[in-house]
Amino acid sequence: MLYRQAGIRHRRYAAERQLWPLTFDRMLVGAVALFLLAAPFTLDRLYVSGYLLPWLLWSSAALGLNLLMGGAGQIHLGYGAVMAIGAYSSVHLVRNGVPFELALILSGSMSAALGIIFGAAALRVKGLYLAMSTLAMQYIVDFTISHAPGISGGTQASLQVPRVSVLGIPVTGEVAPYYVALALCAIVTLFMLNVGRTSFGRALAAIREKDYAAEIIGVSTFKYKLLAFWTSSFIGGAVGAVLAVCYLRIVTPDQFHLDLSIQLVAMVIVGGLGSVLGSFFGAALILFAPIFFNHAIGMLAAGLGLSISTDLRSHIPLMLYGGLIILFLLVEPLGLAKMYDNVRKYFLVWPFRHVRK
Amino acid sequence: MHIDRRTFLAGGSALLIGQVPLPARAQDKLIKFGAPQDFTKVYTFVTAEYSQGQRDYITLFNERGGIKGFKVHLDVIDHGNDLPRAIEAFERYKREGYVLVDPLSTPMARGLVTRALEDKINMVTTLSGRSDAADGTAFPYVMPLSPNYWSQAALIIDFFQKQDKDLKGKKIVLVHIDTPFGREPIPIYQALAQKLGYEFQAFPYTPPGNDQSAIWPQVRRARPDWVIFWGAGVGQTVALNEAIRNGLPLDRMSSSVWLSESDMEVVGKDATKGVLKFEAAAGGREPKVIQDILKEVVAKGKGAGPEGKVGTSYYNIGVMMGAIQIEGLRKAFEKAPDGPYTGPWLNEGLRSITNFTADGLLPPITTTKQDHQGGGRGRIARWDGSKFVAQSDWGSAYEDVVWAEIRKYSEEFKKSGK
Repeated sequence: MLYRQAGIRHRRYAAERQLWPLTFDRMLVGAVALFLLAAPFTLDRLYVSGYLLPWLLWSSAALGLNLLMGGAGQIHLGYGAVMAIGAYSSVHLVRNGVPFELALILSGSMSAALGIIFGAAALRVKGLYLAMSTLAMQYIVDFTISHAPGISGGTQASLQVPRVSVLGIPVTGEVAPYYVALALCAIVTLFMLNVGRTSFGRALAAIREKDYAAEIIGVSTFKYKLLAFWTSSFIGGAVGAVLAVCYLRIVTPDQFHLDLSIQLVAMVIVGGLGSVLGSFFGAALILFAPIFFNHAIGMLAAGLGLSISTDLRSHIPLMLYGGLIILFLLVEPLGLAKMYDNVRKYFLVWPFRHVRK
Repeated sequence: MHIDRRTFLAGGSALLIGQVPLPARAQDKLIKFGAPQDFTKVYTFVTAEYSQGQRDYITLFNERGGIKGFKVHLDVIDHGNDLPRAIEAFERYKREGYVLVDPLSTPMARGLVTRALEDKINMVTTLSGRSDAADGTAFPYVMPLSPNYWSQAALIIDFFQKQDKDLKGKKIVLVHIDTPFGREPIPIYQALAQKLGYEFQAFPYTPPGNDQSAIWPQVRRARPDWVIFWGAGVGQTVALNEAIRNGLPLDRMSSSVWLSESDMEVVGKDATKGVLKFEAAAGGREPKVIQDILKEVVAKGKGAGPEGKVGTSYYNIGVMMGAIQIEGLRKAFEKAPDGPYTGPWLNEGLRSITNFTADGLLPPITTTKQDHQGGGRGRIARWDGSKFVAQSDWGSAYEDVVWAEIRKYSEEFKKSGK
């Protein structure tokens, strides 16, 4: 019904290979894009700077990690550290007068360069062992940042981000940072949507399925594993830079601890490994479920006039949150994106269920 | 019923674009304070006790009729020491016209400094946050309103000196959690070492500090005359356990303000006899304001938590901060009774508190546009097996050294934003 396939005839190869061949999908994407573009003018500012902005940034980061975890099958528990490298590089560069556009690219490259060193472990180890060696990256970077006053900013270990401008527009207030994040997110999303259709993406997929089998059919695992780490770390670094400039505005080492890495891994897994849409769903769930439950429980308590202790009031949301994640993974181990996909598949042929493949 | 595609799309996008209104909490004649604090991650029971005290004091104030027809609404929410959640809370408060935010967490306070300064919302950093925020000229909207870590460190050294008459040639060690918070007091200890001639050594342990077994034998080997342990939450009880295991004399050990009866219960009330700590507000139920709360709030069943916690160290710190915040509010009403009731308006009040003691709960605190710390007064208290007993009078020490450090770093902040 909704996802009407009838009447779609492709006359050129390009038309058949477009990202969204179905009109309804295109309209849906268009509607979401329009909504995001118009958000600063239609939505309350609170939703823009308190919800949409972090959501876009965390989704972009999850996309970068998803390239590595879902695309190439390499687990990374130090993605927070990768973002930290990007954030600190960009802040230091900007403080030294480098224009932000350049700093963004340089900090991405910095993350990529350091990320590839730890990624090199992936050439020898897999699975849990790789998880451990990337975890080492997290701790080494954490330690270096907080122990090098030159990086962290001295005794107070906090660095204010100076106001920057992008393409001549000052990134101040609430609107400009949002659009910078939106632009970055759009670029990363388009890259991720298309990467699966390139030889690079197919090589990663081959490695994900079985690396020595890939080597046998002529895919250089050495090259592509390092490239996967390079690309994913570059995205992480760039997101870290935008995160620092547009959202955090003051960087401290605590912001990039293991918690962040685990959060991102959770986003990728709950959202759906290898799925672009899933990264957005995962980021939304992991970021906002605790806040939402907190408010909901608070309102419920206030509305019903219950006097529950603050301890309980702040722990119930965490229990619900944990329960929700388990529930989602039990119902659909392939993630939130797969849930959407199930719904979409259902409507694709509704009401003629018998033609479903 | 037939829904065609167009209707569905129009309805769907209207639903997406139309914003979901938050429930209106705003009522007339309310001054709004926000307390996004960490109830679940690191500080847990510290926050629970602090928040209970703060809410009880504000209930007391509201029950007595508030001020000029205004009452204070305190919004308490958990931020789990997670910056996006703290930022969400901060942005919501900004939108809803809150005039004060009390995050009670050093990392959150550091992360919110820029926003507080730009959005002109008073951020209270109770006994935490950046020490150099005491300089009101550099941080107009960051309000420690309590002795910062540097004042605490100086007062602890002063106490040691009074005990030993002379610290020359003595060895003082600092066992601290290896985070910016743990390293914070080091400049003061070093500066005072030069001044007083003691030998200073620092022993960092890795966060979160639930295993410190490697560091304490080294501390013992260093044969210190005095030990200062600097941590928060779980690290404190582990430090005490390790000190006992390594046979260090507990009556020559002191903590910063973050040590409480609850920690002592974990380690053992008798085993920890003699331990010292910095005290910013009197403990126990004797102070008049605590008696008032017991009579007018708790007895009427309006207490914010278990009655047993009333009078514990952190509870009283909560009362102290509630009282100071309310005193700032009174001053703001004195200065401009007709408002506008905004952040800058309250800021004027918070920066002009004079000789406020909350009926003897705390040492006199006087804030100015320059001094947001309020004088940095406190005292040293000793655990006697059932309660902390004051060992000295209220006072401050080496504030010249402390302020030299504060100015050094706040100048740096003004200049470069570090």
